[in-house]
Amino acid sequence: MAVCIAVIAKENYPLYIRSVPTQNELKFHYTVHTSLDVVEEKISAVGKSLGDQRELYLGLLYPTEDYKVYGYVTNSKVKFVIVVDSSNTSLRDNEIRSMFRKLHNSFTDVMCNPFHSPGNTIQSKAFDGIVSGMMVQTASTV
Amino acid sequence: MAQCVQSVQEFVQDSFVPMVAVLCSEEAERVTRKNNLNFAELLRPFCRLTSEGHIRDPNNQVQVVKNLRICVNNVVTSPNTAFSPAQRRVLNEVVLSCQPQEGTATNVITAGDCDLNFSATTPWFEAYRENFLQSMPASEHEFLNHYLACLLVVSSTETVPVEQFLKLSQEQHRIQHSGDYTNPKWFIPNTLKYYVLLHDMSEGGEQRADSVYEDMKQRYGHQGCYLLKMNSRTFSAEEDEQIPDPWSQYLHRNNLQSQEVLDDAAVNSAAVENNISAAEGDSHPSTEKGEASNSLESHPLQLDTASSSGSLHTLSAVNPELKKGARDPESLAGGAGSHGASLTLNDHDHIRQFIQEFTFRGLLPHIEKNIRQLNDQLVSRKGLSRSLFTATKKWFGGGKVPEKGISEPKSTCGLLYPPEAPELQIRKMADLCFLVQHYELAYSCYHTAKKDFLSDQAMLYAAGALEMAAVSAFLQAGAPRPYPAHYMDTAIQTYRDVCKNMVLAERCALLSAEILKSQVKYSDAATLLIKMTSEDSDLRSALLLEQAAHCFINMRNPMVRKFAFHMILAGHRFSKAGQRRHALRCYCQAMQVYKERGWSLAEDHINFTIGRQSFTLSHPENAVTAFRQILTNDSRQTATQQGAFLREYLYVYKSVVLGNEDRLPQLPLPCIHSSATRVYFGHERRLAEGEKQAATHVSLDQEYDQDLAAMWCHLEEQLVAAANRGIVPATFQPTQCCLNSQTDNLRFPLAVAEEPIIVEVTFRNPLKVPLALSNLSLLWRFTAEGATPSEEKTTEESAGEAVTNEEALTEGTTPKDDVVTTEIILEFLMGPEETKLARLRLLPHSTGQLNIVGVVYNLAAASSGEPTPSSEGQQALEVMVVRGRQDLKIQGPRLNQTKEDKMLVRHGQDRRLDPIITPPMPLMEVFFLQFPTALLCGEIRKAYVEFCNVSGGALCGLRVASTHPDFFTFGSQTTTPLTPVSPTSAENCSAYKTTATTRQPGSVASETLVSAKDFSQLSGVMEIPIEGGTLQPGESTQLPLWLRGPDQEGVHEINFLFYYESTTKGIKISHRVLRHTVFICASRSLSVQASACRSSVPPHHSVDEKGSGGTLVFVDVENINTSEAGVREFHIIQVSSSSRHWCLHKCINPANDKDCKLTSRERAKLCFRATRCKPHQATSAAVEKYTFADLNLGNERIISSSTPCGDFFFRGCRPPQPQRVDGTSSRTSSTNKSPASDISNIVRKCNELDLNIIVIWKAYVVEDNKQLILEGQLHVALQTIGKEASSLTPKEEAQEMALLKFKAEVPAPVALLSAELSQLIKTNLHYPETYTHPFVQESLCVVPVTLTLSNCSSAPVDVLIDLRHKSSSPESLEVHSSFTWVGQTQYKLQLKPLEVLCLTLRACFLQAGVYNLNTPRVFAKLAEQGAMCETSQQAASPALIIINSARVQPQGDVLGLLD
Repeated sequence: MAVCIAVIAKENYPLYIRSVPTQNELKFHYTVHTSLDVVEEKISAVGKSLGDQRELYLGLLYPTEDYKVYGYVTNSKVKFVIVVDSSNTSLRDNEIRSMFRKLHNSFTDVMCNPFHSPGNTIQSKAFDGIVSGMMVQTASTV
Repeated sequence: MAQCVQSVQEFVQDSFVPMVAVLCSEEAERVTRKNNLNFAELLRPFCRLTSEGHIRDPNNQVQVVKNLRICVNNVVTSPNTAFSPAQRRVLNEVVLSCQPQEGTATNVITAGDCDLNFSATTPWFEAYRENFLQSMPASEHEFLNHYLACLLVVSSTETVPVEQFLKLSQEQHRIQHSGDYTNPKWFIPNTLKYYVLLHDMSEGGEQRADSVYEDMKQRYGHQGCYLLKMNSRTFSAEEDEQIPDPWSQYLHRNNLQSQEVLDDAAVNSAAVENNISAAEGDSHPSTEKGEASNSLESHPLQLDTASSSGSLHTLSAVNPELKKGARDPESLAGGAGSHGASLTLNDHDHIRQFIQEFTFRGLLPHIEKNIRQLNDQLVSRKGLSRSLFTATKKWFGGGKVPEKGISEPKSTCGLLYPPEAPELQIRKMADLCFLVQHYELAYSCYHTAKKDFLSDQAMLYAAGALEMAAVSAFLQAGAPRPYPAHYMDTAIQTYRDVCKNMVLAERCALLSAEILKSQVKYSDAATLLIKMTSEDSDLRSALLLEQAAHCFINMRNPMVRKFAFHMILAGHRFSKAGQRRHALRCYCQAMQVYKERGWSLAEDHINFTIGRQSFTLSHPENAVTAFRQILTNDSRQTATQQGAFLREYLYVYKSVVLGNEDRLPQLPLPCIHSSATRVYFGHERRLAEGEKQAATHVSLDQEYDQDLAAMWCHLEEQLVAAANRGIVPATFQPTQCCLNSQTDNLRFPLAVAEEPIIVEVTFRNPLKVPLALSNLSLLWRFTAEGATPSEEKTTEESAGEAVTNEEALTEGTTPKDDVVTTEIILEFLMGPEETKLARLRLLPHSTGQLNIVGVVYNLAAASSGEPTPSSEGQQALEVMVVRGRQDLKIQGPRLNQTKEDKMLVRHGQDRRLDPIITPPMPLMEVFFLQFPTALLCGEIRKAYVEFCNVSGGALCGLRVASTHPDFFTFGSQTTTPLTPVSPTSAENCSAYKTTATTRQPGSVASETLVSAKDFSQLSGVMEIPIEGGTLQPGESTQLPLWLRGPDQEGVHEINFLFYYESTTKGIKISHRVLRHTVFICASRSLSVQASACRSSVPPHHSVDEKGSGGTLVFVDVENINTSEAGVREFHIIQVSSSSRHWCLHKCINPANDKDCKLTSRERAKLCFRATRCKPHQATSAAVEKYTFADLNLGNERIISSSTPCGDFFFRGCRPPQPQRVDGTSSRTSSTNKSPASDISNIVRKCNELDLNIIVIWKAYVVEDNKQLILEGQLHVALQTIGKEASSLTPKEEAQEMALLKFKAEVPAPVALLSAELSQLIKTNLHYPETYTHPFVQESLCVVPVTLTLSNCSSAPVDVLIDLRHKSSSPESLEVHSSFTWVGQTQYKLQLKPLEVLCLTLRACFLQAGVYNLNTPRVFAKLAEQGAMCETSQQAASPALIIINSARVQPQGDVLGLLD
């Protein structure tokens, strides 16, 4: 499961970052921030060829020593980043994909909330719940 | 990778140069030392050859050698195989000394949304690389940095130079061949020896030198020796000539760097360093990366001690180039800049010539010869021995090769070939070819060697060959084959993983990265560089990471974030390596990417690091700025983290403050919401004093309300207008006591001397830790009267005379109180994330211009509830108190008037904090006594108001304006009853003035005539009738005040605005005002409904009475009070009327002998007759006189014409009347402009009643087991006859169910008009009720009928009476056919105003029966109008007459009244 899940606005500022509490939060911030370069690269590469028929799921952005970083970009250029422990080999691409889809659905729900002003950080219990469900429950396992 | 000064080819070529050793005799050493240099150093600037050399390859092809550089070094015999810590330190120094200059050209790259500003070149990296490559130890597997030749240098002053040459030659031979020294390494067994005779020109003996040289030529051949003449400059000429110093760029750096090291050491070892790390000890930020955080603290310190202890000695000891020189420190210090002092330009040329001679005559032929030799060897072997060699290997060791690889992994890198092994010969030849730039041949040789090494599993050798093969492939000019990047990767991997030789791997990576960069493969280069980072060398990791970062930014799509991230990593490694400046620079560059983009956690981390690095580098200002960023940003950090940040900030801040004491610096905490600042002028109000209730006025506790402000302003305008004879002066500005962001702050506010100014500042603590502020006070600047207080320029001009309390507050002494007293808040604690208001007070004492600049306070981290770990920490906390200021800068509202304003963002002025202090003004306070909070509707209550002058000046012109002028009255001067003035004695007195009367049944109303002028005041403004009109200082006066409960139930907000002026004129403040707001809860009492109708009493009856016609007035009174418990019953004690024309005459109630009692929900009806009063007076000039008629139902008569009844009557009833007339007239004039408007006026006038009924009641109320009697009065204005009027406004019911109208209503003015006109004439028929007629005797019966016409209007009316039947329906025809009018059937008459006319008609009946006589049709029109306005008068009810047929004698006439 994921160790860090982030939602980043079109303008590349974080809308939501949650990481496994036991780990170094700053590190994940840096990792997610750096991954935006790759996301941008991928978007610009794909954007030319396919136009609107873009696959939202970007796949593995880059592997670091300890983590794998996956990316997903909505049509409104909101980016989702999921960081997964590299040691976790059981995760398939399809599972990551479905995680992103779930995240996207939940994000859409948040955006549909008339009391949410777009551009603000996400503060939603439902979204929190979805994210928590995707994250490793380290507190219980460790 | 950053841009480099050198091109790639140059760089790679220079990385591998022919090495030449130097052996000097002592005498020669002495000669060269005159120039502060040793021989190798002396040659160094001239080692690059400017001309081309030539060499023939084994195939006799001429190869051009361009731009060749040779490297001349002293022979160092110490073992120098490994990359020693000393060398590392040297590299460290090199990097440390090479810092980016201030103001060097920087690159600006715009990538995405970032504008990056960074230096494109990284000279420290190049310096590092150069030094690194030069200090590469010679290794077994390659020959590139083995010595090719040896220079033997002997001075001509030697007694027997030749002997010296011999000695040196033997020495060289010994070093190379004895086997005692593994170092230095020699390329070829028979090293080229080149004999140099050094001649010192200053010492003369040139002939001898020449002769020795001749001798040498004989001995060594003229290609193997050289006579170098130098030192031809005498010291006397030293001052005159300016000789360029080519050595400085090679040697001077070392001195500089040692200087820098000293500086840094001093900085680093400062006591503060220890302190700060101690302070952070307990709560080290978790943002640091894991284990690295510890080494960040410990490592730099270790390094500092090392570098500071061994400053120069260590340097010279570790530097291999300097070692042999063995220069003493003082010579270096003394002549740091004077290299080559004894050399002239000619000498420089000599040296250059010498190098060229040596290279072209000695070195290159030597290399050429050796290549040839090696080639021959290899060629001769190729056919036989190579195959034989491989064959033997196959035979003997073929099966063993893989096994060896597994069982003896050590041998894979440790495999050593003997020096004469053929594989090494190939390698040697390749190296030689490479050195003389014959890259094609070199590549093929490397390639061959690589194969051999690989097949032998000699991994180190193979990696070396691979590396060089790749390099030479790259350097081949024609490039017949693509650059084999994978060779490099393999080589690096082998070096690193198999051979564990990081130094070689690093060299390889540096080369590879540079080559990749030149091929625009930045991504590959970055990967390569990042791979090379490791834990063993922080410096290398830092530099490589930085280069990787540069690679990312140089990519075609610049990867800004990767750049930033790697910059941070590099910065981290730099700081671990003790390179604080570089670390700081890296973090600063990374900051550009993270700044203000929402990545607060990262931003905080960077800021924190920057702050700390800046502090240790003694840039405390920058440190403060960085720390300030952390604290002011909305941070996601935890509370403990923030606490740590805060403490660190305070510490750094304090050290900054200690540096400059003259001016208080700005503090970032807590945040001041400056636009929310409120300024209040005047004393804080006492709310009550005993039972006195003070006027509420304005206070800081109130919220600003736009509507309220407008209301107060309107009231004040009215007051000012009243004070200035109805004209509001153009300069009028509403008084503003409390200024905030919504008030108009364009003008300088006026404050009064000796009255406090209270500034309310909104502080917000953005942190999750509490803050403790102390000694909080305002900072101000004061300019005394005389300086014109207008614009900024004047404040600057008069800055000299301006007084400020800044210095006093800075020093912490008691501030100056002579001009302005400043109040200090000693303690001001703020909780976590709390917003708190501080009210700061100033008391100005003299006039002038005051500017409130800001606030000054001590800031400290408040000790929170958490237990502090140690008492030591506690102490540290207490020390962390810093004093600073924050300016209050209030931006005015954004302008939006002109086009420019709209296009740009402009802000107006805000003068809230710049009050002008004016001379003292009178100050009044108002108190209320017995002021009720709840009243019944219409209830009259008496209260008292007290005016106090609390200032030192007299005041006058007291006025009051109110939003509800009908709510209160001070009583009129003329009619004020003699009521007790003091409130205590009037406890149970009625508010009314009464006279006792014995009441007879059917009594007639007593009438009083009162002029309205006695009561009338201006609508909203009342002058307050105080004695003498002025209030002396300290004086106070009490006045009675009558209140009347509002007519509508509910809570009413009633605002009073008291106005007063100073008796002395010509002060800036023309007047002052005092506000008061009360809330009155009105509950329902009675509802009075009244209607009037014309009495139909025939005129002759009414003529007896007064007036032309009586009107009946019906008054319905209902108790609608809902609180059954409180109010027992209402008694109606009096009904009065007030009108200009009418008055109540008498009560015609059937039950008029009792006064009217109404319990809950009871209803009573009272009937009165009203008469027109004294017509002569009504028509006279005194129209404004009102007749008050009192009809008392009880035993005492209340004089309604006096205060308060009359006052409230005039206040309550008068205003609606003119308003209504205005309304209708405007309506009619708009609908029909014809003369009809005239008619309607006249008609209306005819129907106008304008009678006001005042119902005075008493209510018996039980409250707290006491019975109270409340009194009150209700007013009903009867405007027209027939219309019902009510004391309650019937609005509510009407509005409830109003239909929505989508089409505009078509007005029906004509119908309305005719309806009104129909009332013009009143008709009465007088006839006998029963008439007996002997039809037997006479068949026709004629009955006289009198028609009385009375004109109600005050205009002449034409009347047309038509008696003819104009039956419209058949049945009416049937009915009327039985009788007919006889005689004249049509009359045309004119009736004068109010005339009554009788007309005798005759009706003729044919038979007995009942008849309706009401058939005459009366048309009326106003005399002047045309026929069009003629209208039929009302179709009245039937007037029945009974005609009997008489058999007996007819009886007398009976008059009946039927209507």
